[in-house]
This record gives sequence, C-alpha cells and structure tokens, in this order.
Amino acid sequence: MDRRSFLKMLGLSSLFTNVLIRELCAAERPVVAIAEDRNFERGTLAAVNALGGMKRFVKPGDVVVVKPNIGWDRRPEQAATTHPQVVRTVAAEALRAGARKVKVFDRTCNDPRRCYASSGIEAALKGMKGVDVKHMEDERFRKVTLNGRTLREWELYDEALSADVFINVPIAKHHGLTGLTLGLKNIMGVMGGNRGFIHRSIDEALADINAVLKSRLTIIDATRILTANGPQGGNPRDVKVLNKVIASSDIVAADAYATTLFGLKPEDISTTVAAYRRGLGEMNLSRIRLLKA
Amino acid sequence: MKPGRLRAARISQLLFLLLFLVLFIQTEYRGSDRIALAVNSFFRVDPLVAAGYLLSEKSFTLLLLPALVLAGATLVLGRFFCGWICPLGTILDLITGRIRKRGPLRFLQGNFKYWLLLPLLFAAMFNVNLVGLLDPIAILVRALTFSLYPLFGDTVRQAWVGLYRVMGEGRDVLAPGYEILRDHLLPFRETFYPLAFLSFLLFLLILLLERYERRAWCRRLCPLGALLGLLARLSPLRRTPSALCDECGDCRGLCPTSFDRDTLREEECVRCLECRVGCRFNRVEFGFAGIGGGPYLPERRVILGGLVTGFLLARLFRFRSPDAQARLLRPPGVRDEGEFLKKCVRCGECMKVCLKNALYPALFQAGAEGVYTPLLIPRLGYCEYNCTLCGQVCPTGAIPDLPVEEKRREVMGKAALDRNHCLPFAKGTNCIVCEEHCPIPAKAIRTEAEQVVDASGRTFELRKPYVVDDLCTGCGICEHVCPLEGKSGIEVFAVRDRTPVREPDGTPYQ
Repeated sequence: MDRRSFLKMLGLSSLFTNVLIRELCAAERPVVAIAEDRNFERGTLAAVNALGGMKRFVKPGDVVVVKPNIGWDRRPEQAATTHPQVVRTVAAEALRAGARKVKVFDRTCNDPRRCYASSGIEAALKGMKGVDVKHMEDERFRKVTLNGRTLREWELYDEALSADVFINVPIAKHHGLTGLTLGLKNIMGVMGGNRGFIHRSIDEALADINAVLKSRLTIIDATRILTANGPQGGNPRDVKVLNKVIASSDIVAADAYATTLFGLKPEDISTTVAAYRRGLGEMNLSRIRLLKA
Repeated sequence: MKPGRLRAARISQLLFLLLFLVLFIQTEYRGSDRIALAVNSFFRVDPLVAAGYLLSEKSFTLLLLPALVLAGATLVLGRFFCGWICPLGTILDLITGRIRKRGPLRFLQGNFKYWLLLPLLFAAMFNVNLVGLLDPIAILVRALTFSLYPLFGDTVRQAWVGLYRVMGEGRDVLAPGYEILRDHLLPFRETFYPLAFLSFLLFLLILLLERYERRAWCRRLCPLGALLGLLARLSPLRRTPSALCDECGDCRGLCPTSFDRDTLREEECVRCLECRVGCRFNRVEFGFAGIGGGPYLPERRVILGGLVTGFLLARLFRFRSPDAQARLLRPPGVRDEGEFLKKCVRCGECMKVCLKNALYPALFQAGAEGVYTPLLIPRLGYCEYNCTLCGQVCPTGAIPDLPVEEKRREVMGKAALDRNHCLPFAKGTNCIVCEEHCPIPAKAIRTEAEQVVDASGRTFELRKPYVVDDLCTGCGICEHVCPLEGKSGIEVFAVRDRTPVREPDGTPYQ
C-alpha cells in the first residue's frame, strides 16, 4: 500500500471510528458490577471490588472528588439523596487506595447547609482524616469550552476539573423531565450558572458536559430508589428498597443497567441514548457484562 | 471615677452588649433545626414592645411575661435597664468620651420624648402598632441586620474571593481558618436589603446626637426610656442628696442623664451610680425611701396631644396600592394581615434568620404603617420547606412558632403561571424546572405531556406545567428557580384564604 492510499484509508476509516471503536470495545465488553446487601457498606465494597477494587481507579497521591447527589433537603430514607453509608464507603476506599485528599460536594437545589445535614452525608464523613465535605463557592466556577452539540461553553467547578479522579455517586431516582436521574444527570451538580436553562435540550447538554468531565468510576446507589414524584420525593410510598449498589467505569453502562431496576429499558431514557450516540459508553445490555458481586 | 476600676454597672453593660452581639450572631441557621437562644430575648424583656402589643392586640401572651417582670423591676429600682443593660446605651457610653460636646439641643428638651412615646402608644390603641420603629433595641438590630452585618459579611467574603483570584486553588491552605469564621461569625451568604441606608442613618443619627450632650437619645428621645421613666417616677429607690450640693456640683459632670437641672430627675436617673462612686465626700447614697411626690404623668395637653396625634397616625395612612397588595407575601403561618401588623415589632430578626434570604423589609408595599415588616420576595429567595426559623425568633409570635409538619402546610400565597413567558407555552421548549423543585411530595406543580412538532419538523413530547391550587403553599421556590431571566414564568400571588393545604398523604388539614 502506498502512502497515498494509506492516507485515503485513514481518512475514510475515521468516518467509521465510532462504530469501529465500539466494535473493538465489544470484544472487551464494559463491566457493570451489581451488589445486593442489606448492609450498604458491604454492598458498596462488593461492587467496587468486583471491578478490581478502588486501586484500579485511584493511585497513591491522587486528589479524588466524590460527587454524591446531595441536591435536596431530604432524609436518607426519602431516597432523594445518595445514602451516606455508600458515600462514606467510597470515600474510605479512596483513602485506602492512597488518595491524598477526598473532596465531597454538590451544588444543591435547596439550602446547602440543610441538604448537607439532612442527607446525613456531612455527619457520616465527619472526622474522616483526608476527607473534606465542602460547600461550593461561586467564584470557583470557571468557564470551560465544551464545543458540544448544544453547549458551546459552561461554567464548571474548578475542583471537579482539577481532580485526578472524579467518582460519580448518584442515587437512582425518578425525574419528571428525563424520566430517571442517574450518573449522567448527576454531573449537573458541578455546573454553575443558570442550570435550569439546559432543560430545554437536556439530553444533548448532559452529553456535552459528560464528554468533558469524565467519571472515572460511577457508583449508583440503588439501596433504595425513588419510583415517582422525583427528583425530590418526600412520600415514603414512592420509595422502594432494593439494597443494590451498581458500579462501573462506563457511566452509560451503569445508567443503562440501573434503568432496568425501574422496569424500564435503557432506550426509554433519552439522556442515556444521547450519551450512547455520542460514544460516551455502552447502553446495549447484551453488550454489557453484568457481574453479580 | 477611680482610674483602673470598672464599675459594676459598666461591667454589666459590657456583658449585656456582648450577650446581645452573641445572640445576634446566633440568630442564624448554624446546623440545628432549632435556635435555642436568639436576640429575640432582648425584645421579650422590652416593655415598650409589650405595651405596643397589649394596646393594639388587646390580648396577652406568655411571651410578654419577661417584659412585665422588667416593668415591675423598674417600678422598684428605676431606669436601671438604661444604665445596666440596654446595648444601644452601652454603645453610646463607649463612644461619647471621644466626642466633644456643644451643649444640649433646646428643641429636644422638655416634653419632646413624650410627643414620640404617647402618639406611638395611642396609635397602637387604635390598632396601628408602630412602637418598633423607634424602639432602641429594634433600631440597633435593624442597623446591624440590614446594613452593618451584611457589610461586614460582604467585605470578608470579597477579600476571600480576592484571594482566590490571586492564589487560585492554593487558597485552600487558608480554608480551615475561613471556615471557622464562616461557620461561627459570618452570614452564610451576602444579602443586600432595601432600607439598608435608612437603618444605618437612624443609628448614625443617634450616635451623632452625642455631639450635643451625653446620652442625648436616651434622655431626650428614646420612647422605651420615656416609658421606663414614667414607671421609674414611682420607684422608692432614691438618691440622697436629691439635689446638687452647694460647695461641689461635680454630679452635674458625672451624671450621664439627670442633672441638667439642679435636682436629680428620678425619671431620668439610669442608676449607673457614677455619682456615688465619684463623690469626693462619700455623701451620695441610694436607698429605699417613701414614694416621692410630684406629678406622675406628663401634662394634660401632652397626653391629649398624644391621643390626637396617635389617632391621626393610625387613621391617615390607610391607603393601600392594589398592585403591591397582590404580591404582599408574608412569612409562613401568618394568616391574617391585620393581626400580623398589630403584633409585628419590625425588628428584622426574621429577615436576619431567613435560611434562603427570602424575607425583606417592606417599604410601602404594606402601606406606610407596614414599613420594615417582612415580605417574601420569591425571585430573591424562597421559603425552605423544612425550615421554621422565622417563627422561632419572632419575639411576639407575629410569625407563629410552628412544628415543621404544620409549617410545611401553611399557605403564603398561590403560584400562577404566566403563559406569555413560561417556556413550554411561550417558546414550545421543555423546561419543568419548577415542577422539579416543588417540595410538596404530591407535587403542587404537575405537567401534562403533549406531542408537538418543533420548528425543524421534529415531533417530540412537550411537558406543560400546571399548578394544583389545593396543594400550593406559595413557598416561591418555583418563581425563584424559573430559568427565565428577569421576569419569572411563574409567580406567587397573595391570597386572603390561607387555610393550610392537605397533609402529604392527602388527608385534609384538621
């Protein structure tokens, strides 16, 4: 093959890279670990260990951001925020893997002080050396060029951007607009500015953000899920206890599997579909390796 | 005074000033649902606040008991509150030494302060309770809440932000120090209030009056001082000698309030005991004697004048602008506007403590008599579903202190969509930020889905919001978070019927 035809081939093949990469990945299917345990600490540990342990994701000396959902002034049993035990276990594992610092924060919808307190997360992490539960500060959002489909640029949180490892720890729950809110949507917690604005084309917007701010590890808290009146809930009748924790390095795959817990298919959730189309991960359950931990 | 020795009165003053400032700073959410002690304690011992409440509301509440105790103590001991407790008086005492005096203002002498006190009291009797406007504690709390504390908070915060601009994430090494400051001393977020300047100005004027004589405000104007003075006239605790001594006359210089004539005026003596400590001959004594003679009340024409002025004050400011009324949203639990106005001290505590900084002092939205009363402005902040702080700190129960389960159902207003602005209606795009934020478990904002075709011919599901009136409490979070710039696509309007909404599980409110 001469140089010219090689370049032609290269040019042509780039048109198919998305598909090609996907086919290549198919050989090594993304793994989603599912643990079920009434003890949420054990469950979380099992899920992470099934993926090869936290050491696979966190190197000694890393600064780790653990991003739970602390969006609402609700108690853990109301299933609107990530369970404190799950967050605590993830933070502790990151420390054990050698993290220099673990930072935990979320841009809340209700008053941050109340959310941090009611969710139980502040109390659960209190006194852990090397773990900072931080209130977000306006000046730390900085404009980031996304060049996405709908968002050209947006303000993102500096500590999330500068972290060595970003661990996404959402809770699985119902949402009025996107159907469900899982890992992909949990990323909204590091967005500054007028976040509500992106609701008009939320699927593409979330893909835009997730394409830039990658979650090295996604741990979905499905210890109890909110099946209706999300994302805030409040009524115990809408809460279903599943005792499950889902973990994957592929955020789309994690979301896709979590969807099934609600009796839905991955393609029902347009956020997942948009991210899949953008090549952010796998959503076909047949091409995902499910690991019962 | 002997150098280097603090008098008992001065120690008491400083301790109470410190207590006042600590309580003021404690009047904020600091991680606990309930605030054990707040600056409302100072209003609860304030007999002027109690008088205004009793005269206008014409009923009693146990919250006023401490004030009655203080009134009783004043009957026995005289105006000790002014010389031993009042934080405003202490501040004046602390600064007055540095201000050269010009001599008293003539027009303030005599009955001037009764011309302030009596119209306020009579107006209260005619159902317009304005005593808080000139109450010294309220003036101080408002100056702090609306101007000085935000100024302090904003200055520190700007410095902190400035450090970030210089150091970037390196600022984190200083974070522990800043967090201590933020968690214990600073307001959680910067808020700018209307009437900030006026509140500051009134406080400043009181300080500037020290240019003319010591404690000018306390002896010439303060309605609380005047009221306590009326009670103090009956006090059996008397100073001897009751007049200046011929050979000395030092008392005139030592006394902060009473010796502007040659005899001590019982209703002005603040019991600071300055004269006793400073007497060269150890001649001055305070002891219980019989009740002195002399008139107990101001002259009849002042009383009648006060009555007429109070009547006019109560009746001439009753105009209400309907536009302002439509958006007159009161704190949660306030069901009747008239009753609220009678009880509200206008002290600003609810606005200080408001978790989301949703409450602001009214200018003229509630009429002239409603100035400084709290208003919910949803575009600036909303009423947090699980928060009950404003009711806890309200000194008179104008905002009731409700258990959180009840407060969640209290109605402040009702939300209404503006279809000319609301995105799904006006622009045909999805949004539902309001539905997402509505805190009512059964959702007072719901959506109905509709298949629509957008400008590029694509069919999609559009979710259109609507408000369920029976569930809406008017907390204002929907208006607050509406992503439209400027005017919100959903707004909360005042309603007269503020019957609490149903329980979360649907059972009607008992």
